[in-house]
Amino acid sequence: MLETVAQAIVNGLLIGGIYALVSIGVTLIFGVVKIVNFAQGEFVMIGMYISFFLASSFGIDPLLSLIVSMPVLFVIGVVLQHFLIRRVLGLGDMPQIFLTFALSLLLVNVALLLFTANYRTVQTFYSEMTIHLGALYVPVAKLIAFAVAMVLSGALWCFLHLTDLGKAMRAAAQNRDVAMLMGINPDRVFSVAVGIALALAGAAGSLLMPFYPAYPLVGQVFVLMAFVAVVLGTLGNVTGALIASLMMGVAESLGVQFVGADSGLIVVFAMLLLTLALRPNGLFGGWAR
Amino acid sequence: MMRKRISRGGLWTGALAVVAVLLPQITSSAFAIDIFTRVVLFAFVGVAWNLMGGYAKQLSLGHAAYFGLGAYTSTILLIRFGISPWIGILAGGVVAMLASLPIGALCFRLRGPYFAIATIAAAQVLMLLFLKFRDFAWGAEGTTMPNLGDAPLMMQFDSKAAYYYIALALLALGLVITYAIERSWMGYYLVAVGEDEDAAEAIGVDALKMKRNVYLISAFLTALAGTFYVQYIYFIDPNTAFSFNVSVEAALVSIVGGIGTLWGPVVGTVLLEATSALLQSWLGSGHGGAQLTVYSLILIAVILWQPAGLIGVFTGLYQRLVAGPASKKKVPRDG
Repeated sequence: MLETVAQAIVNGLLIGGIYALVSIGVTLIFGVVKIVNFAQGEFVMIGMYISFFLASSFGIDPLLSLIVSMPVLFVIGVVLQHFLIRRVLGLGDMPQIFLTFALSLLLVNVALLLFTANYRTVQTFYSEMTIHLGALYVPVAKLIAFAVAMVLSGALWCFLHLTDLGKAMRAAAQNRDVAMLMGINPDRVFSVAVGIALALAGAAGSLLMPFYPAYPLVGQVFVLMAFVAVVLGTLGNVTGALIASLMMGVAESLGVQFVGADSGLIVVFAMLLLTLALRPNGLFGGWAR
Repeated sequence: MMRKRISRGGLWTGALAVVAVLLPQITSSAFAIDIFTRVVLFAFVGVAWNLMGGYAKQLSLGHAAYFGLGAYTSTILLIRFGISPWIGILAGGVVAMLASLPIGALCFRLRGPYFAIATIAAAQVLMLLFLKFRDFAWGAEGTTMPNLGDAPLMMQFDSKAAYYYIALALLALGLVITYAIERSWMGYYLVAVGEDEDAAEAIGVDALKMKRNVYLISAFLTALAGTFYVQYIYFIDPNTAFSFNVSVEAALVSIVGGIGTLWGPVVGTVLLEATSALLQSWLGSGHGGAQLTVYSLILIAVILWQPAGLIGVFTGLYQRLVAGPASKKKVPRDG
């Protein structure tokens, strides 16, 4: 019994690392640009397809294709911010919500047209490998994904706290007008923030590819998780999103283990609705960012 | 001037109603009538959404919750208890209203994007629950409606046109309710809440009560559509009844047509469905994704260039071409 619980927790933590990459992106965009990106999951999907085609055409390992997927998604992010998001800033809820929502619909359906609904998988030598730690099984591919996700999250934290651009980003998030008065160029800061957020989504896609199938709707699984994690972790709070993502991974995994195979999402949504009812500002509302 | 304008509006509405009623007489093609029925039904769902999303600006992405509850209530009453869907459709509406109270209590604390996300979650939870209810709600397999032949008292008809007229009656009901609300104090309060909730509160509008009341009406109407839809397609399962596409389409037609306007959802549905029918005839079927690709491009274009919706383009054209340039400045654009 104890072993089952421990195994469920390990599984949950490992997938929680991937959720963290997606939800940190959502929360970063929300914190800095004040937009909820409904299309974040679709950028995970694009990252997965990039890795899939690099693997199937050139035999490049999905983990190595991080080097391609992250810069490509960064550029997409800068373009997205410059040509679309910038135009609806300050226009009210409807355009802000439905612009990224329409983008999500567009990307899913273009992927459906181009790649069909078929599941695409990449088989690597470590896809089926597991490490035994006492009675626990740790799948290698998920462990690598988790480790890289944590390294990237740490790198982002350092970027936000130690570099000038990162500090400018946090300043713009706190108060855009004052930041502008201090000589910060908000357009540049916003573009970099969206770029980083999308690069993280691309990384999540590449990291998933060794053990998760790519298909046009795959992003919806991750974006729903990310939304819950972002609300739980207080919108705009990067550390909060990271902790909440790991918690959600564990909650989902325990739900699957003890309530039933199709109950993971029910547990997660129930958590969301309960949090909204009890702590509408998230678990970490009021904490320093 | 004012009187003339109103009577002209009434004239157009009357003409439109006559055309809508005569449509099935003009064509006998079951395919065409099927398309008309779906257009009218989704325009009705859009009208129901628009009361919430358009006037009070509560941008729900979870109206499938009420569509599904309406569908399941009437189906369970029909199959388990032999109760006519005519009673079931009202029962479904009441169930949806009851469900909207706790869902609203949770979601209305949130604003903007948080609200939208919470409504998605609520609809998803309901769908997941109905996937689990295998004993009385048939789980994931769903069920087909019992075929009773031509049984008007059980909402089953041989003629396709009969379904079309029911959908048309629902749409008329939705439009009349919207018209009445638009012109009542409630309509003004709702618009005030939608424009700026804090300011509305400050001048004495009970924003929460307004949102709750309009949510009750919107949920009730959406549930009627749900019952009708499963009676029409003779099949129900959680993925059909609680389909995320229903939530999306309801919002989409309203925004494309003209959010917060009486005719916006109707204009939006007609335009989008016409586009989709054209696409089908150009591409044939088998191009999964083509329809929604075009829908989303239209949506992006509308948001960037015509956020008031395409109805604004038409009224502008109408004023310029028909009403003459002189009237353009004097006549305020109808909301």
